[in-house]
Amino acid sequence: MSTILRATGITKNYAIGKQQIPVLRGVDLSIKAGEKVALLGTSGAGKSTLLHLLGLLDAPTSGTIEYDGREVQSLPVGERARLRHQQVGFVFQFYHLIPELTALQNVLLARMMDTSVLQYWGKRKQAKASAVEMLQHVGLGERLHHRPTELSGGERQRVAIARALIAEPKIVLADEPTGNLDSATAKEVVDLMFTIQQERQLAFLLVTHDEGLATRCDRIIRMKDGYVVDQDMTSDEQAR
Amino acid sequence: MIRAFSPFLALRYLITRRINILGVLGVAFAVWAMLVVDGVFTGFVRDIRNNVESSAPPLLLTDLPHDSSFTVFHDALFDDPDVVALAPRLRQHAMLQPIRQDQRTRAKRGSNQLDFDHTKNGFAMLIGIDPLLETKVVSMSAWLLRGSNEIARYGRDESPSKVFDEPDEERLAEMLLPDRVEWDMRRRAGMPHDPDINNHRSSLPGLLMGWRRVFNLPHIQDGDPFEVVCASFPGGDGENGAVSMRTTQKPFASAGWFGSGNRMFDEVTALVPIEPLRTMLGHDIDDLTSIPLVTDVAIRPRDGITGNELIALQRRLEKKAQAVLPEGSKPCSVLTWQEQNSVYLKAVEQEHAMMTIVLMIVMLVSAFVIYATLHMMVVQKIKDIGIISAVGGSPRGIGSVFLINGTVVGVLGSLLGVAAGVMSAIWINPVNDWLYANYRIELFPRETFDLQGIPCHLEPSWVIAVAIGAIVLSIIVAFIPARKAARMNPVTALAFE
Repeated sequence: MSTILRATGITKNYAIGKQQIPVLRGVDLSIKAGEKVALLGTSGAGKSTLLHLLGLLDAPTSGTIEYDGREVQSLPVGERARLRHQQVGFVFQFYHLIPELTALQNVLLARMMDTSVLQYWGKRKQAKASAVEMLQHVGLGERLHHRPTELSGGERQRVAIARALIAEPKIVLADEPTGNLDSATAKEVVDLMFTIQQERQLAFLLVTHDEGLATRCDRIIRMKDGYVVDQDMTSDEQAR
Repeated sequence: MIRAFSPFLALRYLITRRINILGVLGVAFAVWAMLVVDGVFTGFVRDIRNNVESSAPPLLLTDLPHDSSFTVFHDALFDDPDVVALAPRLRQHAMLQPIRQDQRTRAKRGSNQLDFDHTKNGFAMLIGIDPLLETKVVSMSAWLLRGSNEIARYGRDESPSKVFDEPDEERLAEMLLPDRVEWDMRRRAGMPHDPDINNHRSSLPGLLMGWRRVFNLPHIQDGDPFEVVCASFPGGDGENGAVSMRTTQKPFASAGWFGSGNRMFDEVTALVPIEPLRTMLGHDIDDLTSIPLVTDVAIRPRDGITGNELIALQRRLEKKAQAVLPEGSKPCSVLTWQEQNSVYLKAVEQEHAMMTIVLMIVMLVSAFVIYATLHMMVVQKIKDIGIISAVGGSPRGIGSVFLINGTVVGVLGSLLGVAAGVMSAIWINPVNDWLYANYRIELFPRETFDLQGIPCHLEPSWVIAVAIGAIVLSIIVAFIPARKAARMNPVTALAFE
């Protein structure tokens, strides 16, 4: 399998007053297409920061980030946004849905990012059909027109997953996607994510505190104090 | 290129965030105010100018020495190819009172010319005119018709004066009333008269008063007599070295009333034939040493004269008039109707300009309302900005969400304001009438300026300019919060609580 994401020597400092606080101190990692990777670490280890850098929401202080072998960390913000739309799907712990929009509209929104008004108008029916199909796929066919406030936590996260997948990204970056769910709902959501991952052969980078969840991934990357301290194949993967 | 998500989200926010209604209403109010207030002022200035124009000759030679002769100026000015007609005018302050006791108003004891109600204190500005020549310079028939219409508004149905219809030029020069009318008046007033009506020939010169003076007097009929008193300085010293002063008194017969549309003019002025007035001032036509005295000369230039040609004509006539004045005379002036009333017109224009400034401030306040609502929305939507970024929204697209929002607020507000403004302009008079009838509230003091209704004139170009201006201003103020949104760090935005 080809490497779709590679990060080399990533550092990130935040300035507090005149002081530079290092959060990432030189992280190397790569993710292959179709690979599920868990990112484990205590709070403050730099997991979310790394996820934001890899998702091109922020730029590293130093180091390189490559998508399909192309260095992208220094691209202009507009270009980074376009790449993020094409390559990355985000799933967050707190769902981050837009409260004014229905479930369907939240998912459709992700189809509107890279097209002009006229282009979208031409293919709006097709876009709506695929959004409906995606929501049906995550089990929300009956909740299309509900707003986030009218949905349960698990349902909101399913909408977020549908939104992350609608633009057909190559990698999904999930930041503690089950951190705000009860264990039964969390299991349902994870099962759903992994099913879709299998169907579409997506790469998954999953930030979690949950060792159990991490062991369901192909590989675990452990972080501490801004360093990657361990990269292991999980026992499942070794067995395969 | 506008990304599809920008208008989609902008419209969603617009519908779901009630704070936008405040922005729309703010713009609508400002546009409405701009249209209505400016419409009223534009109509007001236009009507006032029309009224003032109709009360003044197109050009007036003035600032002449006190013993100027019309003949001299006529000879000097009439040969100018741009001059069509000339008419002599003699201005003189006077007092006038109805001779019939029952028609006198209750003037305060000791009332004087400083009292502002000229209709009751008996003082008047007499303008002596040559009816034959004056009608060639000023539309006297329009003045008489307007006077009749104005009186009719107050329930006094009187037909316009026919004093200028007199075919006999000698009688017209004195503005004499028909013999039968004057005979009737003399009989009513107990004045000397021949018992046989057929032997009577009218002799009292006519007196045309502004309708506002007549309006305040008890019922005046054609021919009712008025005593006119003038005072003048004949020159030389009087007894004990005091200044010599001569007062002359002469009866005139009311020949009707006029309305020029200029309130002050219609209140103060009375028109009399110029010859009797000259006689009262010591220049009897039969006296060989007398001169055809004038204080001003009314001038009508040819029709279709351009602005620049008129200015050139003014300067030319001033030179010609100055050339025939005695050496060392003060400079005379030829004034347009605007210059004759420049203080009044400038005051009105100034009022208009001040109101426009106030309205601009209203517009800026409404722009600030849009800015405040959008800024508040950006602050409320910081997390959304992070979400849109995470989903792949470009900074420009995110900024466009708020820019489109502000633009739509501006467009909706403008449309609403234009609709309300146009409706108000159409309905302002019925609404004003209703308010007055039910609550004695007047939106505009139309009586003060002698206007028949609230003048409201909406120039289509002004409506378009205000609407576009409001939209452009909305876009400009929306740009600031939009820029803030576009520049927001997505990670910071996502972490915002």
